[in-house]
Amino acid sequence: MANHKIEAADGVVAVDPSSSPPPQKIIIDTDPGIDDSMAIMMAFQMDSLEILGLTTVFGNVLTQDATNNALLLCEIAGCPDVPVAEGSFEPLKGGIPRVADFIHGSDGLGNTFLPPPKSKKIEKSACEFLVDKVNEYPGEVSILALGPLTNLALAVKRDSSFAKKVKRVVVLGGSFFALGNVNPAAEANIYGDPEAADILFTSGANIEVIGINITTQVKLTDDDLTDLRESGGKHAKLLSDMCKFYRDWHVKSDGVYGIFLHDPVSFVALVRPDLFKYKKGVVRVETQGICIGHTLMDQGLKKWNTSNPWTGYSPISVAWTVNVDEVHACIKKLLLFP
Amino acid sequence: MTGPKKMIIDTDPGIDDAMAIFVALNSPEVDVIGLTTIYGNVYTTLATRNALHLLEVAGRTDIPVAEGSHVTITQGTKLRIADFVHGTDGLGNQNFPPPKGKPIKQSAAEFLVEQANLYPGEVSVVALGPLTNIALAIQLDSNFTKNVGEIVILGGAFSVNGNVNPAAEANIFGDPDAADIVFTSGANILAVGINVTHQVVMTDADRVTLSKASGKFAEYLCKILEVYFSYHREAYCTKGVYLHDPTALLAAVHPSLLTYTEGAVRVQTNGITRGMTLFYNKQKRFGEVTEWSDKPSVKVAVTVDAPKIVKLVMDRLMSS
Repeated sequence: MANHKIEAADGVVAVDPSSSPPPQKIIIDTDPGIDDSMAIMMAFQMDSLEILGLTTVFGNVLTQDATNNALLLCEIAGCPDVPVAEGSFEPLKGGIPRVADFIHGSDGLGNTFLPPPKSKKIEKSACEFLVDKVNEYPGEVSILALGPLTNLALAVKRDSSFAKKVKRVVVLGGSFFALGNVNPAAEANIYGDPEAADILFTSGANIEVIGINITTQVKLTDDDLTDLRESGGKHAKLLSDMCKFYRDWHVKSDGVYGIFLHDPVSFVALVRPDLFKYKKGVVRVETQGICIGHTLMDQGLKKWNTSNPWTGYSPISVAWTVNVDEVHACIKKLLLFP
Repeated sequence: MTGPKKMIIDTDPGIDDAMAIFVALNSPEVDVIGLTTIYGNVYTTLATRNALHLLEVAGRTDIPVAEGSHVTITQGTKLRIADFVHGTDGLGNQNFPPPKGKPIKQSAAEFLVEQANLYPGEVSVVALGPLTNIALAIQLDSNFTKNVGEIVILGGAFSVNGNVNPAAEANIFGDPDAADIVFTSGANILAVGINVTHQVVMTDADRVTLSKASGKFAEYLCKILEVYFSYHREAYCTKGVYLHDPTALLAAVHPSLLTYTEGAVRVQTNGITRGMTLFYNKQKRFGEVTEWSDKPSVKVAVTVDAPKIVKLVMDRLMSS
C-alpha cells in the first residue's frame, strides 16, 4: 500500500502491472468546472486508478453543461469509453440551481468554447449508476464528490445499503470554523444543496470532508501557471487556457494572484490521505435561515448536558491540516506530466 | 478622561456573575451606577433577588437594581435556565436569606435608556446574560445606540463550538433575535466570546489561595464556588472554572488586556444552528450581496492575556 501511494504521488506509470496492487476503483461526481477539469485530468493520468465513471451535477454550471463537459474531458483524456451518467438537475428541495458562471465562465471551462463532444451520456441516471457500481463492487468503490451532494443523497435514499457498501466518499465541501465562499456562512458546494449534504454527512458512510479552510491553503501562483503553460504537459495548454478566466476572478475576490486548487486538493486527499490530518466529529448542515449551508462539526470537547441535533450520528473525518508543500508538488507534477 | 468610567452591569447572577460584580465594585477605574437583571443562569425574578443580595453582601445598597425582561424579545417564555451550572438558587445552593432591598420602579430597558441619555457617550454597559434588555433599550430609544458609550458583551462562540450545543453559546442562545438586533444596531460593541473566555481559568490552586484570604468577597465566593467547579469537572474534565463574566468585565475596565478584530456579526435565529454567531471580517469579497454586507462593524475579542486577567480577578476578590 505504501508503494502504491508513492506511485500515486509521483504520477509514475507502473512498469510491471503484475507487481502493483489492483487499481483503486473510483467514481468522480462533478460539475466541471475549471478546477474539476484539472482534477479529472489528473485522475486520468494515474494508472493506479480505475475510473468506473463520471457522474454529473449542477454547481459551476447547469447539469446539462456539466454532462457535456464531462464527456468532452473523457475524450480529451483519450478515454471516451468511460461512462458519464447525468445527475439531478436541481437540489433536493427543487428550484433552479445557483450557477457560478462568474467564476468558471458561461461554458464552465473558462470561456474556451470547445467543440461539442462526440460521445453520449449513458442511459442510467447518476444515482442509479452510483448505486449499481457500489453494489457490483461492495467495499471497493471510492467516490470523489466535487459538487453539490444531490446525487449522493439520492443514492443514500435509493439504497439503504449504499452508505455501508461504499468504500470511501471524499467530499470537497464546507468550511470548518472559517469563512465560506458564497457568503460568510456557506461554501458553494454545500450551499448548492444543504439538505443533500446533511443527508450524506449523517448517513453513516465512511466520509472524509475537505473544506475550503484546507483547499485555500494550496494555490497555483501566477508563476506556477506560467510553468504549466510552458511545460510539455499532456493537457497543460488546455488547462492553462481555462485558468485565465478563473485566475482573474481570484484577483477580484480574494486578492490572490493565482488560483485556489479546491478540486485538485480533494483529489490528492483521495489518493494521498497521508498528506492530510483529520479530526473526527459529527457534522451537520444548516438548512434554514441566514446561515443556510453552514457546516458545523461537533469537535467533542464537551459532554453535552442534553441531546442536541448532533447527538447520535456517526462521526466523519474532517480534514484539519494539510501538508501544503507536498500537495502542491503532487498537483504540479501531475499537471506537468508529459 | 475624568473620573472613573460609569458602568451598568446587565446580569443574571450566576456564580461567575457574582465574581464579576465583586471585581467591578472593587475596581477604582469604574463607578457601577446600576445593575439590570435578566434571565439566563436563573429566571429574571431570582436574578433581581440575587443582584440585590450581592449588593448587600458588598455593602453597596446605594446602587440601584432595575429588573429586566422575563421573556425573550419575541415574547418567548420557554427559557433555557442554566441552574445545573450555578445551582437552583444561582448562587451555589446556599439558601441565602432574601435581600431587604427592592428593585427600582423603572424597567431595565428604561433605566439603560435614561442613564445613556443622562451621560451621553460615557456609560459602559457590560452585558453578562442574554441580550433582551439591550435590544429593548434599542427599540425604546433610537438614540440609545449613539448615546451609550460602549456595550461589552459576554457572548458568542467565534470559530469554535458553543457551550449549549455545538453551534451556540448560552447567552446568545438565550435570545438569538435580541442578539442579532444588538450586533447589527451600530452601537460601539465589543464581543467577548467563549473562544476567549475558555482561555481564562481559575484553577483549583487559585481556589485554595482564595479560601485562605480574609476579604469578604473571597470568603463569600468560597462558599458558592463548589457547584461551579463540580460542573466544570463533569462537563469539561477540567480542574478549574472558566472566568467568563469576570473576563468580559475586565475587558471593559482594561481593554488592552485583549486584542480584537473588526467586522460584522450576525446571529442565526432558526434551524439547528440557532444562536450561532457568525463573524465576517469584511476582507473577502463575495460575488453577491450577503446578509452581512451592509451591517455595521463591531469588535470581537481574539486573544487575551489570561494570566493577567486571573491575577486581577484574584487580587480584587482578595483585597476587600
